This record gives sequence, structure tokens and C-alpha cells, in this order.
Amino acid sequence: MPRENYQERLEQLRSDVVAMGDLVLDRYETALRAAETGDDDLAAEVIDGDHEINARYLELEEECTELLALQQPVAGDLRLVTASFKIITDLERVGDLATNIAEYGGDDGGIHPAVDFRELGDAAGEMVADAVAAYEASDAEACREIDARDDDLDERCRRASEAVVRSLLEADRARTEADGTEEPDPDRLADTLDEISHALLAIRDLERVGDHGVNIAARTLYMIESDDELIY
Amino acid sequence: MSNTTSDDSLITTEVQADSNDDRAPLGETGTAVAARNLDVYYGDEQAIDDVTMEIPEKRVTALIGPSGCGKSTFLRCINRMNDMIEICRVEGDVEFGGKNVYEDDVDPVALRRKIGMVFQKPNPFPKSIRDNVAYGLKIQGYEGDVDERVEESLKAAALWDEVNDQLDSSGLELSGGQQQRLCIARAIAPDPEVVLMDEPTSALDPVAASKIEDLIDDLAEEYTVIIVTHNMQQAARISDRTAVFLTGGRLVEYDDTTKIFEDPEEQRVEDYITGKFG
Repeated sequence: MPRENYQERLEQLRSDVVAMGDLVLDRYETALRAAETGDDDLAAEVIDGDHEINARYLELEEECTELLALQQPVAGDLRLVTASFKIITDLERVGDLATNIAEYGGDDGGIHPAVDFRELGDAAGEMVADAVAAYEASDAEACREIDARDDDLDERCRRASEAVVRSLLEADRARTEADGTEEPDPDRLADTLDEISHALLAIRDLERVGDHGVNIAARTLYMIESDDELIY
Repeated sequence: MSNTTSDDSLITTEVQADSNDDRAPLGETGTAVAARNLDVYYGDEQAIDDVTMEIPEKRVTALIGPSGCGKSTFLRCINRMNDMIEICRVEGDVEFGGKNVYEDDVDPVALRRKIGMVFQKPNPFPKSIRDNVAYGLKIQGYEGDVDERVEESLKAAALWDEVNDQLDSSGLELSGGQQQRLCIARAIAPDPEVVLMDEPTSALDPVAASKIEDLIDDLAEEYTVIIVTHNMQQAARISDRTAVFLTGGRLVEYDDTTKIFEDPEEQRVEDYITGKFG
């Protein structure tokens, strides 16, 4: 086959993107455990390790740029390079979100029990993992299936957000009634609002992880079938 | 663009195009040239195999494919340059202006005035720059202002600014890129409708080639450009439509250039343009 070196570089790019995906997912799983357990060491592992993900991102960005500049890929090769270029951005963002998530278990006081954090976290992480697998295997059907899961995750996140707000406000009201006062204690109210925003941010981050999974699936579908139906 | 003395007909006899032809005139459909079931043979060797395609007017259409695929043969069929090859036999139609150019009453010289050609290697005549451009005008008995037309043509070929003070110098004294633009000026001076280009930049350095590419883009505002190129990136850069010929003189895929280079239908085309098959 002509241009063997070029073809090998394209295959290497694909396997390097998958390897970056594995690294990001590993960090994400660690971040979920850190958030669940409040283990500061685990959180530090995720936060300190983010530079490694960033370095991988920059290496792969450079490789994509070089392939475009020097090899001028077209057709399926072009779609592989451009899809990879976009996918590594999504993976890098999942890495950033993992550092946020890891921090929720530390000094911030952990994830509120009204949030089914592990289930939501697993659902979002599986979307990314499945999207990376679809990219590796060029599985168009899997891409569409991942996209279909997003509405379910969004709905679960919405319900979780409502549950958190309801739970915290009710708890505050109960404490106010127990105190026998008509107005809540301002300091306690501020704490309650902090706790609400903290929980909502965690939920939002998980939802965003799922969105990045959809983005990866969308770019992968474009790569496979030149079909941009999931991109916009 | 200019006033010529000859009428625009390709026909030298009194016979006119078949008025019973129920196809709409190509000009009205936006098609400049159409091949219909075209077969070309060199002796027993088939060089073009049943090619049917419509080439849009005032667009750039690129013909690409590996060596020996028939793309240059196809190009040369359009203005009957293959007539000069004794063993060449053409079957099927090449329609231009609503008429098959291979009908007996078509004058090839008149045809080539309407369908000019630029070759791979710049081939200016050993004459002055002015005479090179005016050559076709003189052949056709142009009665307008020749100098004015020479200037128009050199401007259209993006050469005027570089040579306007040396029009009496030999065309052979110009650089390769300038010579090729001079040949383009010579091709467009008789005000053709179609300009055929057979690898027009393959003998030029990248800077000269890029000037020709810019020029081709400008030319498409006035003319239909059909270009054979081995440089696929060039085809991708400059053409609106791309036709891919593969072995055996078959047209395998013909579509918008964006479609061909982003998502071709045919696996063989994908393999060819990505370099997996050559």
C-alpha cells in the first residue's frame, strides 16, 4: 500500500486518542471515589495529574496539525484527523471536570446525600467510555445510542437538582421552626445556600461529562459516516 | 467581452443544429459541455469507456486520476485535439452549444476558437509578447482593436502589469510562470467559452503555480475551465466539480469537489485520493 508511513501515523493517532480516553476515564473514576469518600489523597492525585492529560492533549493536537499540514489528508482520513482533533478537546475537558469533581469530596464537605452521585457519575462516565470505544471500533450505531442516553441523564440530573434544593430548604425550615424563630439564622442560611450551590455544581459537572460523551459520539459518527446529525 | 467578425457558429456549412432535438439547449441548462456515452479508442486500445457527464458553465471542473486513466484523452476530445491522432476513434457525443462537436459539419478550427487550450509545458511562439496574444485574433480575422484586445487578455491573465512595457520582447524571454500566463492570455484572446487546461502548473515552481491557480479562479467568472491535474490538492483548492477517472478510461465518480474530497461514494475513489491505491 502506498504512503505506509502516513497510514501508520493515522492508526497511531487513533490508538493514542483511545489511550488518552483511557487515562481521562481512569482519572474520572478516581475523582468519583475522591468525591464519595472525601479522600484528600485521591483528590490530589486527580488534581496533580491533570497536567499529564493536558500534555497528552497538546501532543495529539500537534500531531493532528502536522498531519493536516504535511500529509493533507482527504475523505475518510480527513474525517479521522478532524474528528480526533475535536475529540481530544472533549477528553481534556472531562479531565478538567474530574479535577472539579475530586474537590467536592474534600474541604467542601462532600456530596449531599440527596444526590445519587455514584449512579449519575457512572452513567456519565459510561457515556464517555462507550463513545471512546465507538471511536476505536468505528461503531456508528453505538454513537446514536449514546446520544439517545443523554436525555435520560439530563432528566436524572434535573431531578437530583430539585431533590437537593428541596431537601436543604426543608432542613433549614425545620431547623428554623425548632429554633422557634420566624426568620432563619442568616449565617445558617448562607451555609445552606453554599451547600445548595455546591451540590448543584457537582450535578452540573456530571451532566457536562455526559455532554462531552455525546460530543465524542457525534464527532465519531461524522468520522464514520460523514453524518453530522448529532453535531448540531 | 470582445467583438469578433465571425459568427458564433461552429458550423462552416449551411447546415444548422438539428432543430428537432428535444433536449433544451445546453446554454439554458447551465451546462457548457456534455459527454454522452463517449468511447475513445487508440487502435484496438480503449482509452475512454462509456463516459457520460455534464460540465457546468463558468465553473472549474477538475479531471483527476492515475496516469493512463484517460483524463487527458477526455479533455482533448472536447475540442477535437484527438483528430490529429490518426489511430484515434471517437464514438458517442461531446455536446457543446447544443451540438455534437463530432458531427461532420463542425469545423474543428472554429470549435477550438470557442474551446481554447493550455498545455502542460508553456509553449509560447518565438514571437513578441504582443504577437503571441494576437496570433489567434489574426487567424480569425479579428476586426476590432487588436492592441486593446491584447491588453484585455494580458490583464485577464494577470500578466499585464509585468509585461506592459515590453510587449515587443520575445515571449520566450519570460519566466516559466509568465510564459504559462502568456499562453493563457493567448488562449482567451479569441474570447472562447471554454478553456481546457492539461496540467498547466506541473512544470512550474510553487509560486508561479499559485499565481496560475489564482488566475484560474478569476477566469471562471468569464469562462468554463476544465483542468486535468495530477495534483489532487490543486484540484481540491481550485475546482467546483471533480471527475475521477480510474483505470480503463472509466469515469468512476463525478460530484462537487467538496463531496469528492470529504466523503466520496466510491471506495475506489477514496482509496485513490487518500493514496491507498495509485
